[in-house]
Amino acid sequence: MRQEGSAVRIGARSRIKSPWLFHLNTGSCNGCDIEIVASLAPRYDAERLGCVLVGSPRHADVILVTGPVTRQMLPRVIRVYEQLPEPKSLVAVGTCAASGAPFIGSGVIEGPLDGIIPVDAYVLGCPPRPEAIVRGIVTAVRRRFS
Amino acid sequence: MAALAALLASLPAAVFLSLLFEGIDRKLHARMQGRIGPPVTQPFYDFAKLLNKESVFPSSSSKAIFASAPVIAAASSILAGAIPLASLVAGTSVVGDLILILYLLTMSSIMVMIGGSSSGNPYGAIGFSRKMVMLIGYEVPLLASILPLSLKSQHSFSYHGIVQSQVGMGTCFAFAYPSSAFAAAAFLACIPAAAGVVPFDVPEAKTEIVHGYLVEYGGPHLALARLAKDAASFALSFLALTLFFYHPPLFEGHASLGGLASAILCVAFAPAMMFLTVTVPRTVFARLKVGQAFKFCWSLPLTLSALSVVLSAAGF
Amino acid sequence: MTGETRELEYDYSRLVVPFGPVHPALKEPVHFKVFVKKEEVVDVGLRLGHVHRGIEALAETRNLVQAMYLVERVCGICSHSHTTCFVGALEEIGRIQPSERALYLRTLVFELERLHSHLLWLGIMAYEIGFDTLFMFAFNTREAVLDLFEEITGNRVHHSMNVIGGVRWDLDGRMVEKVGRSMSKVREAAQRIREIFQDKTVEERLSGVGLLDRGAAQELCTVGPTARGSGLKTDVRKEDPYAAYGALEGSFSIVTRTEGDAYARTEVRIFEIFETINMINEILARLPGGSIRPGETIIRSMNRVPQGEAVSRVEAPRGELLYYVRTDGKGGLRRLKVRTPTLANIVGLRQMLIGGEVADIPVVVASIDPCLSCTNRITVIDLDKGGAGEPLRRRRRKWPH
Ligand code: SF4
Repeated sequence: MRQEGSAVRIGARSRIKSPWLFHLNTGSCNGCDIEIVASLAPRYDAERLGCVLVGSPRHADVILVTGPVTRQMLPRVIRVYEQLPEPKSLVAVGTCAASGAPFIGSGVIEGPLDGIIPVDAYVLGCPPRPEAIVRGIVTAVRRRFS
Repeated sequence: MAALAALLASLPAAVFLSLLFEGIDRKLHARMQGRIGPPVTQPFYDFAKLLNKESVFPSSSSKAIFASAPVIAAASSILAGAIPLASLVAGTSVVGDLILILYLLTMSSIMVMIGGSSSGNPYGAIGFSRKMVMLIGYEVPLLASILPLSLKSQHSFSYHGIVQSQVGMGTCFAFAYPSSAFAAAAFLACIPAAAGVVPFDVPEAKTEIVHGYLVEYGGPHLALARLAKDAASFALSFLALTLFFYHPPLFEGHASLGGLASAILCVAFAPAMMFLTVTVPRTVFARLKVGQAFKFCWSLPLTLSALSVVLSAAGF
Repeated sequence: MTGETRELEYDYSRLVVPFGPVHPALKEPVHFKVFVKKEEVVDVGLRLGHVHRGIEALAETRNLVQAMYLVERVCGICSHSHTTCFVGALEEIGRIQPSERALYLRTLVFELERLHSHLLWLGIMAYEIGFDTLFMFAFNTREAVLDLFEEITGNRVHHSMNVIGGVRWDLDGRMVEKVGRSMSKVREAAQRIREIFQDKTVEERLSGVGLLDRGAAQELCTVGPTARGSGLKTDVRKEDPYAAYGALEGSFSIVTRTEGDAYARTEVRIFEIFETINMINEILARLPGGSIRPGETIIRSMNRVPQGEAVSRVEAPRGELLYYVRTDGKGGLRRLKVRTPTLANIVGLRQMLIGGEVADIPVVVASIDPCLSCTNRITVIDLDKGGAGEPLRRRRRKWPH
């Protein structure tokens, strides 16, 4: 019994300690995307928390979604989300993804994101600062994986 | 019997050391870029996490091959890392085990490659063909650079025999003869290609072909495929250290402790080898194209190893 | 990404590689269908529209001040170019003349933006060729510029600097000094980046790939560094000066290269970094006094814009950016048309890619510095295929004319 408990704990801890990120742009203006990249650069260095940007959704644990989800990207968002192996977590980066804010009212926007797939953490700001993005990742991971 | 026990004990040690070495490599890489970098224990977290994840099989894959390839790959490269450890500790010499080690390393990359191409993903297919080219590129100089050592140590292809002959000479191969010095250079130059790190990571180039043959792997299979790669670079840097730089006054353990002490010393120094051959190239170079990488393998390392073979045949 | 339009033609040597829409080499979704034979590219199909957000139509439903925020969000990298271009058109319609100081400040932020955009691009290029260390270095250098943005305007990316008839934020003497100091630091770092890019492994990856000769560049109407890398001497800042560029004409020159490959485009951008730093220093030295914006509220200035139309051009970091604006005289917009530099350059991609290798695709695509969020002006909706187009049809309205 105790053994199983500790195995679960190791699993949870390792998940929290190693969130691999997949970045999905669903029509963002690039502001958020660049800030995500900046959060991996030396000043903010998200890799010290184990965050790595991977290229294939199959490798990832956390998806960072930016943008208000355009009609063209809608099926792809769902597809990428489904491709991630369980357990997975999702962070909506930017006001766009969280609420669709500057683009509300447009005929080709399907967002906001939480009407489409479950979101674990919202990072607000247009664009949010890299610190906030890192914080958002950590929050989402803690919430979902522990 | 003791040898078998040593081998069994070396297997988990090899796994542990491979992951640890990856951690050291990533830390140093980050420090060289002016970042703090992940903790040294990061690969252990990654490994544990991936083992705990769900594995996904693409519908277009042939499942049996897809699932078994990483297992075989990891097993063979761990074995390739464990054999040298075990034979240093136990002090046993098996005829031809050096050939076996190199064969196992090749086996591991071929298995990953086959697994990737069985996924049915076009990127996997491109990764396959690129890996094939790279294999042809680095295998020849790698094997050729072993020949002078065997010539100098009474035609032995036993790993332990070669290491021990350095003890007999009182100095290490890299400084003993011109031929073996060239061989050492060739071997070192091949390591980045054999370990598949940045200037030579064409088969799994992230920005070009989305991790190549790893593209469809996820969860435990990915963990094993990555472990196979880590174990290969551990094995290669350990081999490089012990085959060419086993300087007896430094590494030959005290009589009371026997092989274990020298094995531990070698493990302690192997990160330096890895730093030189894996971390530095991947920090200071850009990725080559497949043709350029192949050309490199067949120019510098091949010339060096050919030179060393010729020299050693001539008796230098 | 996986299995997406996966067609293995049984010609075995010919393979269709989907490149995008979700691909690690691309920060934004765009879909290339690349036909390869062994490792050679034989044909390329391009599909845009994944990030179309309907900004032009949306702007027509907003007033001029709101539209300013909207056009700023066309692109997160050259946001100030978009507002400068937009506000330039509005000022032309309203015959509003901003003060000298406002124009200089506009130009200052514009050039800082070029600096950050080019540094970012150098980092992305390094990333594409697998040179992580250079990527990290370029991004670290860029942080210095972003710090300046933050101190001047309060935001790292979307600056909201422009208002009709002026700018929003002023620079005090301390800040002027600080910008100057940062510039010398950035210059040093850029010098190092330049040296690294002259390294052999990098040069080998870049030179000779993505060729676009002068004639083709002219025929395909490429703009910006892409055109200048092919030997076309074109720059809106010289040809049709806006903001304070007329007064600063002597302090910068157009960088051109004739090789027309990815390396030439890289060099153009690297040397433009130095030109830009010089220009920023010049601006700081010559910064005139005076107020930075009219004393009235923005709503007032908005209402002063009469009915009319204008075309405005600026030289964004990626090339010529063009706005066509038609106002309705009641503080709103009748029509907004944006033509972004990437839209002009992206047609050149096919020519650059064909005959190259698969390994070169990311490099070539990156070499024109595509900004797809700018480019996605249309979306194709198949009305026959059912309801997908329904909401659009509903909100389609009569163009007021
Ligand atoms: S939240 Fe703002 S910065 Fe981020 S993608 Fe949306 S508009 Fe761009």
